[in-house]
Amino acid sequence: MIKYLLKRLFWMIPLMIGISLISFFIMHLAPGDITASEASFNPKASEESRQKLRELYNLDKPVIVQYGLWLKRMGTLDFGTSFASHQRPVFWQKTDDQGNVSKGLIQEALPITLLINVLSLVMIIAIALPLGVISALTRNQLPDRAITLFVFIGFAIPGFWLALMLMYWTGVANDWLPISGLHSLGHEHMGPVAQILDTLKHLILPVFISALSGLAGISLFVRNGMLDVLHQDYITTARAKGLSEHSVVYGHALRNALLPLITIFGLSIPGLIGGSVIAESIFAIPGMGKLFYDAVLMRDFPVIMGILTIGSALTLLGNLLADLAYAWADPRVRRGVMR
Amino acid sequence: MALLPSGLLNSAFKMLRRNLHPCLTACLTACLVAAFLLTSCGKAPSPSAVDYKIAYEPVNGGSTINAMIGEPSGLIPMIAGESAASAIASSIFNSLLKYDRNLELEGELAKSWQISPDHRTITFYLKPKMKWADGEPLTSADVLFTWKLVTDENTRTPYGADYKLVIRAETPDALTFRVTYQEPYAPALDTWAGLQILPKHLLEGQDINTTPFARNPVGSSYYQLEQWRNGERISLVKNPLSTQGEARIERLVSRFIPDAASQFLELMADNIDSMNLNPIQFARIFPSRPDLAERIGLYKELGNNYTYLGFNLRHKPFDDIRVRQAINYAVNKQELIDGVLLGLGEPVSSPYKPGTRWTNPELSPYPYDPQKALALLKEAGFADHDGDGILDRNGKPLAFEILTNQNKQREMTAVLVQRRLKEIGIDVKIRVLEWASFIGRFIKTGEFDSVLLGWSLSLDPDQYGIWHSSQQAPGQFNFIGYNNPQVDKLLEQGRLELNSDKRAKIYHEFSRILLEDSPIVYLYAGYGLPAIHKRIKGIDDPAPPAGIGHNSHEWFIPEPLRRNEISAR
Repeated sequence: MIKYLLKRLFWMIPLMIGISLISFFIMHLAPGDITASEASFNPKASEESRQKLRELYNLDKPVIVQYGLWLKRMGTLDFGTSFASHQRPVFWQKTDDQGNVSKGLIQEALPITLLINVLSLVMIIAIALPLGVISALTRNQLPDRAITLFVFIGFAIPGFWLALMLMYWTGVANDWLPISGLHSLGHEHMGPVAQILDTLKHLILPVFISALSGLAGISLFVRNGMLDVLHQDYITTARAKGLSEHSVVYGHALRNALLPLITIFGLSIPGLIGGSVIAESIFAIPGMGKLFYDAVLMRDFPVIMGILTIGSALTLLGNLLADLAYAWADPRVRRGVMR
Repeated sequence: MALLPSGLLNSAFKMLRRNLHPCLTACLTACLVAAFLLTSCGKAPSPSAVDYKIAYEPVNGGSTINAMIGEPSGLIPMIAGESAASAIASSIFNSLLKYDRNLELEGELAKSWQISPDHRTITFYLKPKMKWADGEPLTSADVLFTWKLVTDENTRTPYGADYKLVIRAETPDALTFRVTYQEPYAPALDTWAGLQILPKHLLEGQDINTTPFARNPVGSSYYQLEQWRNGERISLVKNPLSTQGEARIERLVSRFIPDAASQFLELMADNIDSMNLNPIQFARIFPSRPDLAERIGLYKELGNNYTYLGFNLRHKPFDDIRVRQAINYAVNKQELIDGVLLGLGEPVSSPYKPGTRWTNPELSPYPYDPQKALALLKEAGFADHDGDGILDRNGKPLAFEILTNQNKQREMTAVLVQRRLKEIGIDVKIRVLEWASFIGRFIKTGEFDSVLLGWSLSLDPDQYGIWHSSQQAPGQFNFIGYNNPQVDKLLEQGRLELNSDKRAKIYHEFSRILLEDSPIVYLYAGYGLPAIHKRIKGIDDPAPPAGIGHNSHEWFIPEPLRRNEISAR
C-alpha cells in the first residue's frame, strides 16, 4: 500500500511539470501581455514606456527563459506577485521589513469560493441522495417522474437568469435577503453571532444557485446506481433471508450504490476551488472564478500560472484520494491495489 | 423591447450564440430583467412618506453608497492606470491644476501660474499653509518629488513621456515650483492637471511600484481612505485637513458590483445611492417604473469618448478620398444613435467635446445621403459591372472587413453599418476579437481593412499622437496610417502655441481638414447616464461640460432623508 502511494506521488511530479509547461506556453502564445490592456490604449501612454514595462516584467525575454525563471521561483514554492494588482502576492501573504502585510490574491479568494462550493456540495448531497433513492424505489411512477422533471428543470434553467429573478424577488420585491456582496455595510460593528448570520444570509442565494445545477447529475446517478444494485442477486438473497425492506434498501443496496459516487467526489475536488465567473459577477463575490477570468483578460501571467498550478495539483491529488477512498470502501479494488 | 429594430435584436442574439461573453450575457440579462420588470405590475416598496421635492438648506454629514464595476488595483493613479483607480484617487489627491465646470483650467494646489515670455518656462505658485492629511506641510518639494517619481526609469508607469519633456524642474522656495521645457509645449498645463501630487515624507526611499502606500494612501483632497475591504468596497471619510475646503458629505462608500443588472437591483432596493445606467435601463426600464423615478434622479452628461469607423489608409481602396467620403455619406449616424444608444448620444464632427472652446462650431457631420455616396463611388470608378449587387472596379468587388473588439455596443454598431453599406453595394464582413488579440495581431501589424473603435474626447486639443504622420510605428497610435502634411503642420504649430485663442483657431482648422479628409467616420458620442438617489441634493442639472460630479463636494444629504445606516446593506 505504501509503495503504491509513493509510486503515485512520484508520478505526480513529471505530470505537474508537463501541465505547467503546457499551460505556460499556451498563455504566452496568446497575443498580448499586461501592457496591451484596453486601459493602456491611450495616446498619453507612449510605446517606449510600455517597452520599459515589458522589460521590468521580463516579458521581453524569450518564452523559454521566462519559463525557466518561473520554474526557478516555483522550486521554492514562490508564486510571485501579480502584474495587475499592484504587485500583490499571488498565493500567500508577504510581510515587508516595516511589518506591512500584503495579503495574497488566492489566499483571499480561495476561502470564499471553497465555502460556497462546500456548502453547495453538502446541499447537493443532502437533497440528491434521498431524491435518487425515492426515484429508484418508485421507478417510472409519479414520484420518480416528478423528481426527474424537477432536477432537469433545475439543470436546464440558466443560472444567471434564475439568480437575477430570485434577487429581485427576495431582495427588491420583498426585504428578505441581501441582493449582492458578502457582508453588510455595518458588518464590522456586529457581534460575532450576528456576523456569521449576516454572512450566511448573503450566502443563501449563491449556494442555492450553484447547487441547483448539480442536483440533476447526482440524483440521477444515485437513482441508476440503486436500480442496478436492486437487481443484483445478493439483494434477492437479502430479501429471501427475510430482511426488512428498510434494511435491504439502506443496509445493503444503498451502500453499494454509493461506491461510484466516491469517484465523482474525488473528481469534484478541483471543482471546489474553481468558482463560476458569471455567478460571482452577479452576486459581487470576490472569488476564484472572477480572479482567474480577470487575470486572463489582463494577461496577468503570475496569477494565471498560480491558479493553474494549484488547480492541477489539486486535481491530481483528488484523483489519488478518490482511488484510495475507493480501495478503502471496496474490498475488490483493495485486493487489486495491494497486489 | 418591441421598439428595438428586430434586425438589431437578431444580430445581438446571433453574436450571443457565437461567443458567450459576460458582457453579452449582461446584455441578455438586462433584456430579460427589462421584460420581467415591464410585465410585473410594479410593486411599490411602501409608499414613500418622504417628499424629495422640498428645498433643504445645505448641511454637513451623511454618507453615500456608490456602485462601481471594477476594483482599483491601487490608489496611486500613475501606477494603477485604470479608471476605477482614478475615480477614487481623485477624491484623495490633488494636482497642481484642475478643470472647472466648463473644462477651463484653474488652480487646485496652485494658487496661480505664470508662463515666461519665451513660453518655455512655467512657474506654479502654491497656495500657502497646505497640509497633508497626516498634518505634515505640503510644499513644492512634494511636487518636485512627484515629478522625479513619474520620470524615474524604474517607475512602472505608462504615463511618463509628457513629463520627460521637462529639462529642468526646480523649487526656488517652498511655495514655488518651476519647470522648463526644451521648446514651448502647449499641452504642458493639461499634463500638470493630470499629475496627482504624492507626499514626499511618506514615499521617499520606498519602491513606488510595491509600496504599501498604494493601499493606504495619505492625500490632500476632500477625503481620506477609511477602509478597503478587498473585492468588496472602499470607504472614504472626510479629510479635516483638506487643502480644498470642506466637503459636505461625511462618508463615501464605493461597492464593487461587476454586474450591471445586480447594480440596478441594488439601486431599486435602495441599497445604493448611485450608479451609471446603460441605455436600456435609462430609456426602457425607468419610464415604466414611476415609483423609481420618484426616488431616483436621472442625469445625462457628455461622455468621454466617441466611436468611429477608421480605415486602413495604406490599403486600397481607402487611399481614395472619394471612397472614404462615400462611406461617410452612406452611414446613417442618427440611426446608430437611436438603435444602439436608444437616442442617448449625439453625433460629433471633431474629436473634442461638443460645446467646449476646441470644437469648431461651423462643422457638422456628413448627412445620410446614399445617392451622393453612389455618385462618389461611381466617380472613383466603382459600378456593378457583373450584376451581383456588389460594386466593383477592374473586376475586384468593393468588399472589406470591419474589425472590432468584444463590446456589445460596437458589435451592434458594426451590424447596422454593414446593412447600410450593403444597400449601396458594398460587401462588409464583421470580425469580433478579444482585445489583446485585436491589438497584437491586427493593429500592431497593420493587417486590417477597417476598425470600429473609440477614442477619447480629449480635454487638451493636442492630438499629435493620433494623427501626426510620424506616429505610425507599431505600437503607436496613428495605426490607420493618416498622412497629411497640412495636418502635420497644424499639429506641430498647436503644440507650440500657448495662447488659447490662437490655439483654438489652429485646432478648428485641423478639425475641418480632418472631417473633409474623412480618414475615419465619426459615428457617435454616447452620454454618461448617472442615476443618483434624490436624497442627495445640490446636483447641477443639466450637467455642465465637466460632468455631473464636478461639484460633488458641495452635494449634501438633508438629515430627514438619510438612510438608516445600521440597516444599510
